[in-house]
Amino acid sequence: MRPATLLFQYSLKRVRALALATGLLLAALQIVLIFVAGSIQRSGGFEQLSSLLPPFARALLGPSLATFMSFSGIVCLGYFELAVMGALIAMTITLGATPASEVESGFMDLILARPLARHWIITRTVALTVFVTGVLLVLMVGGTAAGLRLFAPEDVQRPSPKLIFSLAANLGMLALCWGGIAAAIGARSSRRSVAGGTSGLLAFATFLLDYIGRLWQPAESVAWLSPFRYYNPFDLIMGDPLPWKNLAVLGAIAAAGFGAAYFLFVSRDISR
Amino acid sequence: MTPISIRGLTKRYGHIVAVKNLNLEVAPGEILGFLGLNGAGKTTTIRILLDLLRPSSGSASILGHDCQAEGLRARLNVGYLPGEMGIYADLTGREVLNLLAKLNDPFIDEDRRRELQERLEFPDSDLRRRLREYSAGMKRKLGLIQAFQSDPLLLILDEPTEGLDPLMQESFYHLLLDVKSRGRTVFMSSHVLSEVERVCDRIALIRKGELALLAGIGEVRNLAARQVKVLFTQELSATPGLVLPELPDGACILDSGPLWWNLKVEGPLGPLLRAIATLPVQDIEVTEAKLEDVILKYYREGGSAGKPGRTQ
Repeated sequence: MRPATLLFQYSLKRVRALALATGLLLAALQIVLIFVAGSIQRSGGFEQLSSLLPPFARALLGPSLATFMSFSGIVCLGYFELAVMGALIAMTITLGATPASEVESGFMDLILARPLARHWIITRTVALTVFVTGVLLVLMVGGTAAGLRLFAPEDVQRPSPKLIFSLAANLGMLALCWGGIAAAIGARSSRRSVAGGTSGLLAFATFLLDYIGRLWQPAESVAWLSPFRYYNPFDLIMGDPLPWKNLAVLGAIAAAGFGAAYFLFVSRDISR
Repeated sequence: MTPISIRGLTKRYGHIVAVKNLNLEVAPGEILGFLGLNGAGKTTTIRILLDLLRPSSGSASILGHDCQAEGLRARLNVGYLPGEMGIYADLTGREVLNLLAKLNDPFIDEDRRRELQERLEFPDSDLRRRLREYSAGMKRKLGLIQAFQSDPLLLILDEPTEGLDPLMQESFYHLLLDVKSRGRTVFMSSHVLSEVERVCDRIALIRKGELALLAGIGEVRNLAARQVKVLFTQELSATPGLVLPELPDGACILDSGPLWWNLKVEGPLGPLLRAIATLPVQDIEVTEAKLEDVILKYYREGGSAGKPGRTQ
């Protein structure tokens, strides 16, 4: 375990500034969203906003529109807003692709020339991805809690801690799923840009697949292939319980990705 | 225990054969220079030894442990300097050294590191700097310190003096001789033939993935023709009754003047000396063959594996 711990410490040291900056930005975004939601609530603007939405958007959002166009809905937006999801997924893809980056730089030659089993490299990558994702989510939840304490109007209905936890858990699992996919690709690749770029493109393509699947009935038959299909924040906001099945699917994809990374990395030739 | 033993090693990349049926043994306490042109298979061989690459066939072992099946044990006593130091630019030199040392052993031999720092003129203030501020030479010194710091039984060095200034090269040669005197084994690839000639006991020359030559430095030198200049006390043509001798095999006159001959001699000098014994010889100047001449010849023309010496 010592080699993995050592590598974990060094890798964490390298990404800590980026991870912390991302986490603080995400936390700040939660606070700003709550501040904005509080302002809208105080001015009674949510009803006006609903009426301004075009018909297709109302059709898309369906009965969740009323819930979304509320103080609670805007607070929850911080857990499924595109930029937030993008930032988290980009972070896990970057971390998952760490082995490719280390092969490319030649650092892998130096560390594997030591009596270090290759599987520790992937174990470190898994630990790093899970840890940093956890820290980002904790900072986001912390931002939400701080924002609610500071800027929430007294008489407004707040999102329950359970809802926030459910959104954070589902979002975190989605991000980890992409970390696993990036790790599998990164374990086989010798270029960070190839591993990160391929994973990023795949994420974008599957996001579009899910998006189209939600809008266009015929595409729904293949939309289940997209990991984004297993994150339905509106259902959670509407009061559905935490979908363990969705979490299990995302967890299984992440586990399969990390498992494939172990196999691929242990059996590959390390060359630039 | 044999520090390095390579048997029938072959590495293919699709249709390309990077290393072909390579057989090589490195004896304990020797410094073996591993030579070859770019793409000859040197780095591939080194990477197989470190289990970074997997052989297509054949095997390699370090200190009695198979490099693939018992890779961890094999690498336990190895110090490695890669051709290019791939290190994170945002770490300090000390952080890199500590990480790499601790992957071997939790206890860092600070005295050994300090001694290496002194020899390579690498002060603590440089170790505190981030690697992005390092010059190529400083990175090389750091690489040497990390390779030598655990005082391993076997050192595998890929182009060790690349980027070092002449003074540091000198320090490095002394360092090599020091570890050799303590029974350590060194396997180093190099393009600098003068360096190989100076520090190596034997050379292994690899060409297009195959071992083309394996011999001691002295044996290799003997493969090359020496230049011999014979100076005479009087003009040979003006010497009455003088019969010019027949030169032995391996000797021929390249150039001549009234009072001198310039000859190329392959093999021992004895037959030539006997042949010219009847001539009015004033002096003989022998210019030793350069290792470079032989190596370049092998690079260009080739030759069969281990022509003079020990191959397995």
